[in-house]
Amino acid sequence: MIKLNINKTLHGAEGVMNLHANLNIKKGEFVALSGKSGSGKTTLLRILAGLEEVKGSIKVDEQAWLENDKSLPVQKREIGFVFQDYALFENMTVEKNLLFVKNDKKLAQHLLELTELDSLKNRYPNSLSGGQKQRVSICRALMKKPKILLLDEPLSALDPTMRSKLQNELLSLHKEFHTTTIMVSHDPSEIYRLANRIIVLQNGKVINDGSPKDVLLKTQGSQKFSFEGELLDIKKIDVIYVAIVAIGQQLVEVVVSSSEAKNLLLGDKVNLSTKAFVPMITQN
Amino acid sequence: MNNIIAYVQNIQSLQNLNIVNFTCKGTPLKMMSLDLNNNIQKDTKVMLTCKPMAIALAKNLQGEVSYANRLHANILFIESGELLSALKLQFEEFILESIITTDSCKRMHLQTGDKVTALIKSSDLSIKKVLV
Repeated sequence: MIKLNINKTLHGAEGVMNLHANLNIKKGEFVALSGKSGSGKTTLLRILAGLEEVKGSIKVDEQAWLENDKSLPVQKREIGFVFQDYALFENMTVEKNLLFVKNDKKLAQHLLELTELDSLKNRYPNSLSGGQKQRVSICRALMKKPKILLLDEPLSALDPTMRSKLQNELLSLHKEFHTTTIMVSHDPSEIYRLANRIIVLQNGKVINDGSPKDVLLKTQGSQKFSFEGELLDIKKIDVIYVAIVAIGQQLVEVVVSSSEAKNLLLGDKVNLSTKAFVPMITQN
Repeated sequence: MNNIIAYVQNIQSLQNLNIVNFTCKGTPLKMMSLDLNNNIQKDTKVMLTCKPMAIALAKNLQGEVSYANRLHANILFIESGELLSALKLQFEEFILESIITTDSCKRMHLQTGDKVTALIKSSDLSIKKVLV
């Protein structure tokens, strides 16, 4: 169990901001930390790791990590930290990178097998792909069997296929080790697949905290199929109108009646929604 | 447009599938839905909506139809296009819009003032907002 109640003044791009969080995180939880850049997510991870000076208290399994301005040093906090850039020791083989943290050959072998890195254990980081490097970083972070695994957008530099593969591996590792994990992520599908809880930060405050399904499903009334987009064009055809809306990288067409079209302006941010019973689903 | 104020009568649930029964001035209405917000309970006042394309029309309706929502309405206005027609209907104090093919409109000899039944499948009806 992590009990954290902290306050810190940050000097961000938009001026001075107060980061405040009062959270209880259960042992074994997989928490996604989400929110716009500059909202305090990475700072919160760094606070847990002991890399930032902060006011407040942090207690992990009844051990005080921060109390009355006394802070447990970084190396004594049992933390595994994985960053977006891999931060591997370039002069060590994959296996040595793991053993450097803790000389436990059996665990290293087990982790390398779980992540299909076994055959690469004698290679050096510069001969690995991005996905392989990040798997080494994750394995290395787990070598100490940390109490908390902190992941700062670990997969955001990877292509979608590799991302999905590593998500599965993170899931298997979490199932096997039950390490309490806090991951910064912006990707709703990643959050839904991995996390059992999402905490959303905005300007240093927690604005949402709940299950990924409850927080991420953008529903309005009973509409379950909902997207935000921008109205690009609207044309009258016969007695109806056809609107063209950009959603992410895609364009979609929507038929609207004249009364629905009446107040729409080109460039408007719009919400497209329909009931869950209507969309058809086909395999690509 | 196509906003109907109704009250929740009861909710039938099976896991996260729900059928919500409403009443609007004595007309029973039914909506199929997945998970419902917690604030939707018996006697909750809601605004229901559906797309104009999802309203079918019948005249002199006889026999049984599977449409769970059958609203007795009067035609207020017909805008007839080459292929499609948009009809404004009066149902209680609400104005509904139905868009049907002009062929159907002609075949049924629909005219302003006609009494029609507006038919909406329960899967096409949705809650636009919860009113307090």
